[in-house]
Parts: sequence; C-alpha cells; structure tokens
Amino acid sequence: MKGYRKYFLNKLIWLLVTAVFAFILNFTLPRLMPGDPVAAIVARLAQGMSSSTGMKEVYEQYAELFGTNQPLLTQFFIYVRNMLQGNFGTSFSQYPRPVADILRTSLPWTIALQFPAIIVGWVIGNMLGALAAYLKKGFDKVLMPISIFVSNFPPFGMAVILMVLLGVNLKWFPTSGGYGFDLMPSFTWNFIWSVITHYQLPFWSIVIIAIGGQAIGMRSMSIYELNADYVKYSRFMGIKDRKIVGYVFRNAMLPQITGLALALGTMVGGALIAEIVFSYPGLGYTLLNAIMGKDYPLISAVTLIITIMVLLATFIIELLYGLIDPRIKAAQSD
Amino acid sequence: MKHTFKQIFHSGKFVLGFCIFMALLLLVIIYPIIVTDDPLAIIGQGTFFPPGIYVNSYDSIDKPSPYILNLPDAAAKRIVSKLSESDRQEMKDWLLASGIPENEIDTTDTAKLMEQWETNYDPTKGLGMTYAKQRYYQRLDKSISGLLSPEGKIIAAQNPDTGILEQVGVINQSDYVNVGEVANVRVLMLGTDNFGRDMLTQLVKAIGVSLQIGIVAGLVATAIGLTLGLLSGYIGGWVDDIVMFFTNLFTVIPSFVLLVLISFSIGQDKRGATTIAIVIGLTSWVWTTRSVRASVISLRNRDHVNLSKLSGHSIVHIIINDILPYIASYVIMALILQISAGILTEAGLSILGLGPRTTEVPTLGLMMNWAMIYQAHILGKWWAYLPVLVAIALITFSMNLMNTGLDQIFNPALRE
Amino acid sequence: MKRTIFALSILVVLSLVLSACTPTQAPATQAPTEAVTQAPTEAPTEAPTEVATEAPVDANSLPRNETLYFNGQQWNAVVCWNPYSSNCNNAMALAQQDNARVPMFETPYLYNMLDGKQYPLLADGDYAWDEGMTQITFKIKPAAHWSDGTPVTAEDVAYTWASHIKYNTQFGASNKDYIDTIEAVDPQTVVVKAKLGADGKAVNPLLVQAYLSTNYVIQKAWTETLEARTGGDAAAFMADVAEDVVYSGPYHKFFSDDQKVVLIRDDNYWGQDASMFGKLPTPKYLAHVIYKDNAAGSVALAQGEVDVSQQFNSNIQVLWLNYGLPISTYLPEAPYGIGASLPTAFFNKNSYGLDQVAVRKAIAMAVDFDTIIANAMTNQSATFTQVPRSLMNPTPGEQALYDHDAVKDLQFAGKDIAGANKLLDEAGIVDTDGDGWREYNGQKLTYVATCPNGWSDWQAAIEVVAAAGKGIGIDITTNYPDWGVYQTVVTNWPLPETGYDIFMMWSDGAGPTQPWGRIRHLISSEFAETTNNWNGNWGGYINPEADALIQAIPTMTDEAELKAAYTELVKIYLTDIPSFTLMYRPQSFHAVNESVWTGFPHEGDGTNPPVPPLDLTDGWSIAGLYNLVLVNP
Repeated sequence: MKGYRKYFLNKLIWLLVTAVFAFILNFTLPRLMPGDPVAAIVARLAQGMSSSTGMKEVYEQYAELFGTNQPLLTQFFIYVRNMLQGNFGTSFSQYPRPVADILRTSLPWTIALQFPAIIVGWVIGNMLGALAAYLKKGFDKVLMPISIFVSNFPPFGMAVILMVLLGVNLKWFPTSGGYGFDLMPSFTWNFIWSVITHYQLPFWSIVIIAIGGQAIGMRSMSIYELNADYVKYSRFMGIKDRKIVGYVFRNAMLPQITGLALALGTMVGGALIAEIVFSYPGLGYTLLNAIMGKDYPLISAVTLIITIMVLLATFIIELLYGLIDPRIKAAQSD
Repeated sequence: MKHTFKQIFHSGKFVLGFCIFMALLLLVIIYPIIVTDDPLAIIGQGTFFPPGIYVNSYDSIDKPSPYILNLPDAAAKRIVSKLSESDRQEMKDWLLASGIPENEIDTTDTAKLMEQWETNYDPTKGLGMTYAKQRYYQRLDKSISGLLSPEGKIIAAQNPDTGILEQVGVINQSDYVNVGEVANVRVLMLGTDNFGRDMLTQLVKAIGVSLQIGIVAGLVATAIGLTLGLLSGYIGGWVDDIVMFFTNLFTVIPSFVLLVLISFSIGQDKRGATTIAIVIGLTSWVWTTRSVRASVISLRNRDHVNLSKLSGHSIVHIIINDILPYIASYVIMALILQISAGILTEAGLSILGLGPRTTEVPTLGLMMNWAMIYQAHILGKWWAYLPVLVAIALITFSMNLMNTGLDQIFNPALRE
Repeated sequence: MKRTIFALSILVVLSLVLSACTPTQAPATQAPTEAVTQAPTEAPTEAPTEVATEAPVDANSLPRNETLYFNGQQWNAVVCWNPYSSNCNNAMALAQQDNARVPMFETPYLYNMLDGKQYPLLADGDYAWDEGMTQITFKIKPAAHWSDGTPVTAEDVAYTWASHIKYNTQFGASNKDYIDTIEAVDPQTVVVKAKLGADGKAVNPLLVQAYLSTNYVIQKAWTETLEARTGGDAAAFMADVAEDVVYSGPYHKFFSDDQKVVLIRDDNYWGQDASMFGKLPTPKYLAHVIYKDNAAGSVALAQGEVDVSQQFNSNIQVLWLNYGLPISTYLPEAPYGIGASLPTAFFNKNSYGLDQVAVRKAIAMAVDFDTIIANAMTNQSATFTQVPRSLMNPTPGEQALYDHDAVKDLQFAGKDIAGANKLLDEAGIVDTDGDGWREYNGQKLTYVATCPNGWSDWQAAIEVVAAAGKGIGIDITTNYPDWGVYQTVVTNWPLPETGYDIFMMWSDGAGPTQPWGRIRHLISSEFAETTNNWNGNWGGYINPEADALIQAIPTMTDEAELKAAYTELVKIYLTDIPSFTLMYRPQSFHAVNESVWTGFPHEGDGTNPPVPPLDLTDGWSIAGLYNLVLVNP
C-alpha cells in the first residue's frame, strides 16, 4: 500500500503540474491569434454609421471594457483573479452575455449528445469486436471489412448522408435543431418526444463511426489474449471455457478503457460536425464561433472545460489501473 | 525478408487494401497525362452541371443536317419530356378551377388537352392560387406552347450590314446529328462544381494532394512520436518525465481544438497544403509516442539489449540495432494509420473553412466544403459531394485494410 | 446489455436535456423587478432564457397556422432587447438602419425601398421643412400609444435623441454632426433642428430627414427607469438587457433561447386604429429558428419549416423546378430579387501601376462578370447587360436619376479581353521582356486580389477577377485572409504594399439618403486615407470635382440639376475607375414557402404603395404582414 500511495502522489503532482501548464496555455494560445477582436465588434456596429470619429470612440470604449489594451501579463492576472472567483468573464462576440451563461446553455447539449454516443459506440463496438474474435469465421470475415469501411467515413460525410437519406428524402427524422421548430422547452410528452427524435440523427452519425474503430481494436486485443499462454495454461488446468473467456475479455478491455478516457477529450471537437450539419445546439459550434470571433474569454473557458474533463478522466483511470493492473502494481515496487 | 513479403501478399485483407490504394494512385498518376486541363480552370458559366456528354449546340446546327431519321416514337418522346403525367393532372386542375366541367377533360388525349389549355389559359387569372402555383402554370404554358406543331425551327442570323435578322436555315423535327462529327463535345463524367470546374479532373488532383498531405502529416507525426517514444522509453528518468509531461499536456488540450486554433492563427494566406500537413503532423504525434514508449519499455530489459549494453555499445547503436528492428513493423503500421488520420483531419479542417487556401490546389476537404457552402446536398447535386466522400472513404479504407493485414502478419497471435 | 445501455443513455440524455431547459421555466415566476435591482453585471445571466411573464403557461408549442417563420436574420442567441444598444444581436426586433426593422420598436416614418418614399408610421402626415431648410416639423399620431397604454408624445422623440447624445450611443454619434437638437413644441409636434454650416444652411438635410425613418422612438419614462438603474454610466446604459422595455410596435418578446426567438402579437397594438393599418397584422407569432449555416436554413425552407427566407439559398430555382415545392421569389425568373447594393472591388491606388487609369480600366473590362453572376450568385443578380453599371442600384427610382445615354460609352459589360489589351498597348504598357506579362516602366505588373475567407460568393467572384488577368498579361493571384485580419487592414490607411491590391468591400444598399450616401461612401475623399474607416473609399481615391458634387447634392432641390450632378458623378466614376462593381446584391434575399401562408409581396401583386420584398419586418415591408392569408384556412 505504501507503493500505491507513492504512485498516487506521483500521479497527483503530475496532474497538478499539467493542469497549471494547460491553464496557462489555454489563456495564452487564443491571445496569440492575429487580428483584433474589438475591431470585429466595431465592424458589426459600424453598418449605417457615418462618423469616423464616432467609430474611434466606440472602438476605444470597447478596448477599455475588454481590457485588450492592457499588456498580456496584466490581462493574465486579471483572468486568474476572476477565475478564482469563479467568474469566466464576459463574452466578446456575444457581449454583454457572460461566458458562464453561454456555457450553461450549450454544455448540457454537448454532454447529452456526446457522452451517451461515446459510451454506446464503445459498448457496441467492443461487443462486436469480442464476438468477432470469439466466433471468427464468417462473422469475422464480414464484420471486419464493414467495420473498417464505416469507421473510415469522414464524420461530416456520415452526417450529410444520414441527413439527406433519412431526413430530407425519407423524412423519418427532423433535420435540424435540438427540438421541434414549433415548440418551447417544457415538461410535456410532446416536447420530450421532439427532443428524442431530433436526437437520433446526430447521435447515430457519431455512434456508427465510433463502433467500427472500437470493434477493430477490441478484436485485435481479444485475439491476442485468446492466444496468450495463460489461456492455454488455464485450458490445460481444466478451467471452464466460460470462465476463461471472462478473463480474456476483462484483460482485453483494459487498453480499451484508456481509449474511452481519451475519447472524452474528443467530445467537443467530435460533436462539432454533427452540430453544424444538424444545427444542433452545443459547445463545439460555440467554440468554433468563438475562435472565428477571437472571443478570448469564451475560447479559454471552453478549452479549460475540455482540459479539466480529460485530465480528470485520465487521472481516475490511471488510479484504477494502479489498483487493478498487476503489471503496474509490479512497477510500483521497483 | 522475402518470406515476410510473401506472407504479406498472402493476406487477403492486405492485398485488397493494396489493390484499392494502387488503383487510386495509378488514377492520380495516369489521368493528368491523358487530360492535361488545369484542374482549377473555370469552364462552366453556372453551377453544378450534371454529369453527362455535352454537345455543342451551335456546332450541331451549324450546317444543314444530312441525317434524317424517321423514328415513329420521336414525337411521343418529345411530348413526354415536356408534358409529364403530373403536368397533365395539374392542367386538369387549372381547367377545373376555371370552370370547365370534369367530364370534358381527358388528360390522356394530348391534342384535346392542349387545345383546351390554349383557349382557356389566362396567366393573369390567379384563381385564388398561391404565387408558386401561378408561376408553375406560367412556366408550363411557356414550355408547352407549340408542342404539337410539326414545323421545324428557323435559324436566323443578323446581317452584318443591315442589322436585320435573316433566315439561314431550318431545323426539322426529324434532323439528327452524329455526335462524332460535332466539332466540340465535352464529356463531364462527374459534371461541374459550384465554380463551374470539371469535377472529375479536380477530384483526381485533389486525391493526389490529399494523399500528399496525409503522407507528410503521417511522416511528421511518426517521426516526432518515434523519436520521443524511443528517448522516453529507453532513457527513462527525467527525460521520460519531461516527454510524458508534454504528451499529457497535448492529450488534455485536444488536438483538434489545437489544430483549429493554429490553422486559424496561421491565416488563410499562409495556409498552403504543406503547411496544413505539417500542422496536422505536429498535433497528432501523441499516441505514437505513447505506444512506442510502451513497446520500448517492454524491450529495454530483454536479454539481447542487456547484452548489447554490457558490450559497451552507445545508446544510438543500441536503439538502432537492438530496439528499432523489433518495433519497425509496429512503426510502419502506426505510420499508415497516421496517414489515413491525416487525410481525414485535413477534410475535417477544410469543412470548417480552415483548410489550405482555395486557389492553389484542390483538396478533398475543400471540395466537400464548397459543395456544402453551395448546398449541393440539399439541391440533390450528388455528383458534387458523393464522389468526394467515397474517395476519402476508399483511401482510408484501403490503408486500414493494409494495416489490419500487416497486423496479422507481424502479430502471429492474430493469425487465423 | 446493449438495450439496457441504450435505454440508460436515453435516460441520461433526457435528464441532461431537461436540466438544460429548466432555467427557462424558473424565471417565469420571478418578478421582473428583480432583474431591475440586480447589479448590471449579473443581470444578463438570467435574462436570455427568461420567458415573458405574460406568456400563457400552456403554450408550449406554436400553432403552425398562427406563426410566421423566418430564417437568415438571427444567427446566434439574442443578447438583449435594448434599443439604445447596437450590440444586442437581436435581428428579429432591433435594426435601426435605412430600412429600420419595426415589429417591436417604431420609427416616425417607414422607408419604402421600391418607390423611395417615406410613409408615416408614428408620425401623422408628411414632415415639412421650413423655408430655409433648417428644421423639420412633424406631428405624432394621436392614436399612437405605448405597450403600457400611455400615448406616444413628441417629448418621447426629443428625449430619445437627448439620451443618444448624452450616452454617446452609436445612433447619436453618427447623427450629431447633422442634427442639432430635437424638440417637442407641444405633445404632438416635433421639431428637428439641423446643424447649420457657416453659410446658415443645413450641413446635410438628407441625413436629417433620413433620421426620421432610421431611428426608433423610445419611451421617455422607460429611459428614465433605465437611467435610474444604471446610474448614468454610459457603458451600463447600453449593456442593459432591457427585459422590461416599453415598446410601441405590434410584436414583443415571447420566448428566446439558443435555438429560437419568438415574438408574440400585442393585441392592444395602436396600429389597428383606422389612422394606420386599421387592423392587426395576421400572424400571432413571428418565430425565427437559429440555424447554424445557410445550408441548414435552406433545408428548413424546403421542409416547410420556414415561411420567409432572408438568406442566400443557392440555386433557389431548383426547389420549385426540380422538387415542385411551393416556393417562390419576388421575381419569377433570374435575378429573382431586386438588387440594392453593389459589392465592389477596390483598387489600392498606391499599388505599383494601379495609379494608371489604363491598368485599372483594362482589369475591370477584362473581368467576366456574367460568370461571376452565374456562378457566385447562382444568377441571383441582374447582369450588367440588363442593368448597365453606374453608381446606382437596379431599382427604377435610382436608375432614373442619371442620363443613361450620356455615359453609354463608358459602361463596360466585361469579358472584353481584346479591348483591354488594346487599351494597355495604346498606353504603352506592354510586355517588354517577353515573359508573357506586361511591364510598366520595366516592372512586371503583378497583383493580389483578395476578400475575406469564407465569404463564399465574394470568394467565387474574386476567383473570376483573378482569372481575367491571364488574358491581358497581368499577373493576378488570389488570397483570402480571415475576416478578423482583413477588416483591420482594409479599414486602416495606408494599405500594405502587397496583398491588398484589388480587394472587395460592400457599398450601401437602398435607403432614404441613396444613392447620394452610396456615392459618398464610394468616392468621397473625406474617407480617403483615413484610419478606422468603416465608411468606404478604402482605395484612397481623391477627386476634388467629385467632392464638390457630393457636397452640393444634399441641398439641391431642382430635379434637372440633380440629374446632371448624378450623371457627372457616374461619368467621373466610370472614367477614373477607382473601384468597380462586381454584381448586384439584394437588400435582403427573399424567398417564401407558401405551404401555410400566402399573400407575400411579389412583383405585380397589386399593393399600393408596393410592399418591398424585405422580410415583412423592415421599413414599409411590414405592411406585408397585414396582407397575409392562410393557404388552407
């Protein structure tokens, strides 16, 4: 147990160091982009204005308001101070909307779309992969190429094809939005049903692609484990096949779980395409718009959220590994 | 070595993947030799011309036709092409609305229907219909006028002296041209895109460029990943800590977000295809590093490595001679995966409008992007986006098949 | 296992989605006064998802045959409802511009793009200039009242202006050089005093009268409430979300979130008085679903989820020709709409060789404008053979303002490679070193044509401009910087030495000061070589003769004199070619789907005055809302 504590502390320190550097990068990277966010806002105000001195005043007013006229270091300290108070600041591109409000309205949609999609894709993919490894023959011969082909479809391609086929041509599912174009959010069946139907196309466009990749990985790992020495030894010892298969798949799962943790990091980027094609609400499009509008506070906040999610997910998995995986246990006693 | 190659080419998956890949590669190499047009030349005035053979109508009517074919169904075909079943039904609806009794209208009798239409139809009468409907009837009326007339059409030209139109020829309904004799015929196998560019020529060029992007991105990513993985895995200690720190940092800031940020910062003016490829490579080395490191760690305490150490070989020597050969197969597979991932990433970036600059070269992602901007998928212009998607899927599919094939060769455990 | 997981995930989704939606429920019970007392920095957190307190609890869905759906205006969540702010991203309710958007707030007059006239809305009858054109007097309609029932008075108009000035809003800043004061003589009578020049005449009477149809009248009592809670801080004054705003128009906020904005009719609207429309507008709700891009909006239009589309729908005719959908545009054939603005390519006068008229003219002449219009605009623009180039937009009103025959020889239609080559040869700009490219004084002519990245129709147009260079021996390449970079460069003189030789920007559309305002922005030297220039003349063109004419036109009253002046300006513009128009663009795209509603504005629809095809919310086009009827009542 002493070894584990050391392992835990070691991981924790690295977690904190990484978090600090990621935080600094999250602040700095967006601000290194060329161009001037205030000019973009002034441009939006400019239509119909004819006084150029007036424009200049407006520009300076906003530069002052957003603090973009101050040195980067000063801006950083202000940012840190605000963060410590839980204040994400005000969005530039959607001024005067606070960043926290934008996140509150878009984050749940992203999590609700991506989290189940990643999990479902992962579960189905792993089951198919394991089956392919176990059953082999025909199932494997057919399933493998199909999985590979499907998982190699570009995400937007899958989204567009699903939309054109099932949405526009067959009209089975609605094509855009998070809920019906004629509805307001409420706790009625009508609304919930609308949310469910609108959910299908973006959801499956993500799941279908995820299944293939997971299946390929799981199949390889399972075959690897099925042919491992311990399996032969167990068979030799007369242990029941069922039990062995259980061991095999548990071992094969371990690397797949790491994959799952990392997949969480692709959540925001991965949903982006589905969000655009299906006009689905969420964080991905918010982030893209923020980048286009050089909305520093919003970019930093979104990347920070992603960073924290991935950091925590990998940290938890590493801790679990330390407890479960005998190989890492052995390394602790080095 | 020879044995390995033999084995590789016995793997069905590898062979299939290899064949698809070589077919694409050959297309990219041979097609430009045959068709030398600039892939980005704007040839069409108008958007999304459908695939087909385009015969120059000026050339076809230039001289009196020597070919007269008296085909019995020609007139019927002509009528059907202008007056479909649903058009007849719509005409009936209009006539009904204008007060003609239903028993007097027979939609199967073209001559009678046309006559009733010509006598009754009045474009100024709205009959309480929507504008869309009224305009439909106006268009229909225009398109079917003179449909049953057996006369030919007169070609007239302006007299250069007087400026008056003078008859120079007549085209009869039974005149034909032989396509082979028309001076200008252009085959557009995949039609044109929104710029009026030849889709096929552009697609072939784009496949080539996307492959290059993938290869450069894959090489960059693999080179970085391999170097870092080797260093971190073999040397360990603080080197390992630092490398792993950066690897973790790049894991928690998702590469796609980073990629979008960087591409946006570079600015479109400096985003050449190579730049994009390098940027993609620079942001996707993380998992190669991780896996190379893991393999090296498991190798570094093997007997032959220890032996080499005892013999006093340098680190470089040990890495090159005692470690690299053992992970070479793995690295090659990682490279293949990185290449196909690079192609997908370029496409993903381009669809967001952050791909390489438009004017220099086409890429698969850019073609997709423009097709979407001009709404090809909604307008049913499948030729503008479906071939692109299939091309992307085929490239990455072939590479992954090859990869799976190799996997089975190099990991005997995976062999059936 | 699989099924359980799926069912579970659906549950997770639902709970998350619902938790996302709950905030929209909660604030409904909150008293609106709470928002008022909150600190301004906190107030916005609640606001965007708040449901109007008077919203009926059971109205969770909008009845299709009482709702008119839009697209193409609103691309992001609404931020505020404050008519003093110009940054509310509230395209459904707020747009104080040439064709002011008047469903919620109202202007004294409504501009009609089709006949160029201003029609009274809040105002009673036409406005009148005094003898020496120094001030405008107009009356307020006795029937006009605010949503809280109090009458709209002249005092409101005066106080609105005073507040614009006091807090230096965009609307104040852009008009204060031309308007001196706005005063209430009595509760019904407003006097707008123009700023006078040294000669005792109004500096610019055109802009003074334009103010009457571009700027809202805002209630004095509400403005005072707003002032009280923001404590005189200008930034807070303009950043207030104004959920409690008092309005005079027929619609107001019903619902808004990240996915849609809905306005609901105020059945107590004053405009049902016989002195205005005599009835209420037909749709009970105006709704705008927020789509992520044009493609998504087009799908919705085709699916019948949008009635009025204001976005660019590529190849719109396919929707009715190939799919037989009940969709139509203002005109039955291409260009489908009425062009109002002139997207223009500017020449950077400092670029090497572009100071030569011959080079500028040759490039402009060689461009294949028909391809630009066919490909970039998918034919949704008139061609330059249909409407020859000038400084005017294609509306009949503006076209009548200049003498077509006098400038006929100057109106090039494009793709004239031979003519362009001849022009260059005659000017002595030839290829001296035999590399295929022309040289001017021994230096090769090479340019970069540019526009912002992602502006699809502009990019497609610039591609065609660049292609023209090949035929005339001038090397033109293209480049598309991101908008953030592009705008900073283009609006700040001097332009960089390379990279911005030929660049695209916009010009004014249709409005009460047009075409004078557009011409001023395109060629007046008051904007040449300035920084922070969002007005025009970005190429730095200076011509004192043109300046004098632009100066003189606002005070001209004689029509013949006016026509002569405009003709002269067109002549100067087409001779010097400091910039050239690439296409005609509508004020706003306009396509309608008649599956639910009909009676939209169409050419020859018999309305008098004609209802312009502008969303049914902008300027006089709001009159179209009263003409709508259901297809299947």
